[in-house]
Amino acid sequence: MSTLSPDQIKSLEQSRQRLIQLTHSLGSLITSLNQSDPLPSWPSLQSQASIISSNLLTLSTHLSENHDLLRSISAYPSPEFPTRTHGNTLEQLLRTKLDPRVEDWVGRGRKSDNNNTDMGLWGTLTSNSAAGLSSTGQGLSGEGNVARLSEGDLAALWEWAPVEANSEARRRNWGGDFTLEERERGVQSVAAGLGLRRVLEDDEDESEEEEEEEEEDEMEVVGVRKSVTGSGFEFDIAAASGGARQEGVAPVVPLDDILRYMTTGIPPR
Amino acid sequence: MHELLLFASVPSHQHHELLQQLAGLTAMQPRHRLERRLIFKAYRKPGLVNARGGTSREMQGADLVRLNKMLNGGMYYTQVVGPISGADFGSKPSSSGDLDATMSGTDETAGSSYDYDSQPWKLEFRDIPEAGTRSTITARLTASATLPKGDIVTPMSAWGYSFVTEYVVEGDAFIHNDIVIFLHRVLQYPVHGHEPHEPHEPHEPRRQMPSFRDLSPLERTGSYILQAAITVQDGSNQELMRTASQHLFGLREQLKTAVRLEHADRLSLDTRAK
Repeated sequence: MSTLSPDQIKSLEQSRQRLIQLTHSLGSLITSLNQSDPLPSWPSLQSQASIISSNLLTLSTHLSENHDLLRSISAYPSPEFPTRTHGNTLEQLLRTKLDPRVEDWVGRGRKSDNNNTDMGLWGTLTSNSAAGLSSTGQGLSGEGNVARLSEGDLAALWEWAPVEANSEARRRNWGGDFTLEERERGVQSVAAGLGLRRVLEDDEDESEEEEEEEEEDEMEVVGVRKSVTGSGFEFDIAAASGGARQEGVAPVVPLDDILRYMTTGIPPR
Repeated sequence: MHELLLFASVPSHQHHELLQQLAGLTAMQPRHRLERRLIFKAYRKPGLVNARGGTSREMQGADLVRLNKMLNGGMYYTQVVGPISGADFGSKPSSSGDLDATMSGTDETAGSSYDYDSQPWKLEFRDIPEAGTRSTITARLTASATLPKGDIVTPMSAWGYSFVTEYVVEGDAFIHNDIVIFLHRVLQYPVHGHEPHEPHEPHEPRRQMPSFRDLSPLERTGSYILQAAITVQDGSNQELMRTASQHLFGLREQLKTAVRLEHADRLSLDTRAK
């Protein structure tokens, strides 16, 4: 048995600090989940989760860096330890096995680590924190890689996700700003209530198409009417003045030029 | 008098339809109108300049300015309008005969009922439209006076006006409340040598009307002009002018789906003689 060097004490102290940070952030997440009603907003949850995950990352880096030291040292009580007043702490420190609850966490964490799929935040979190809490340094090797998927898995995920999301979106037949329930209740009323112009894209497209069709119909009717009257009218003109003319053409001489001619006799160019 | 105007260009193929629409809107049949319009231009008489020089010594400065303004600024194009009927046009079936008659001079040919010497005339003076104040509507000062019948060039020239050109306005008029709606187009006389684009203009009004067939529309496609006008007796009465404008705008709204009535470019109605 040898006394610890100041560096070793320092790294132990660092472990303690990091664990304190982690428990703080975990505690604040738990309290915010427990106390706030309704649940905290997604952005705040996500920022807390990212804080925790960075805590975990630094902690696991630190633990793996000091792996040898933490493996080799063990705790034993010195005669000066105030056993009477801090008996619980002493018992915790002298445990060689994990707390049964923590054992469960660690078991679950390791399992998910081995499967290396479905590695959610809570999986990493429990396994890491359990490993950290155990403070005996059991099985800490490779903990730094737990939070990350392998490159192949990431690529597979990215390959899988867009297609799946797309097919999911297609299956839902959604669009625009409305949920399925709102749609079933009637988009028109919701849209009118919100003063929104954008309704479900499908519906909008359909209605637009219908409108276009209607417009086209109208155009056709007008066009036919125009051409009919136009031709009849052209005939009248031809009879009246005998000039050569095209059918249904827009005026070539601007109104202003005609008015100018009428006013001053200057012929339009 | 003041005149408030809105104009629209009507393509020839829309003319018939618009006539019916206007007949429905105004609940009246169109009044067909044919007019000879002669354009006269004021010219400065040489003697007037001398007269001004001679009198200026006795006049005050302000008077001199006013006289100058009258002499130099008071030069306008003005129109002489004579109503005609379809029967006034050459009734001979052969257009060449009418052309010859027209070109032959002042002699009246048998078979044409048009009598130039009994043609009534009306002088129509139109000021340049007012600038700025009503940018969405054309407003201008107007005045008209009845003129002697028959030969009009002599009296006009005595007043300091020279004949510029003439044309025929053909169209249909409707009355809608206080609005006179005139759907019309300009027809030009046939020009000697059958070259209608040659700018050859006689120096006095025709004494003989050619066949109506030989008139050619100024606008080659035969389009019409829709003119909506309200005449206000007292142009200085802002209330009346505003009411009249609103009536015209009301008509514009009613006809919005058919034609787009707009104010005319002010300079295209510029009657000032430069």
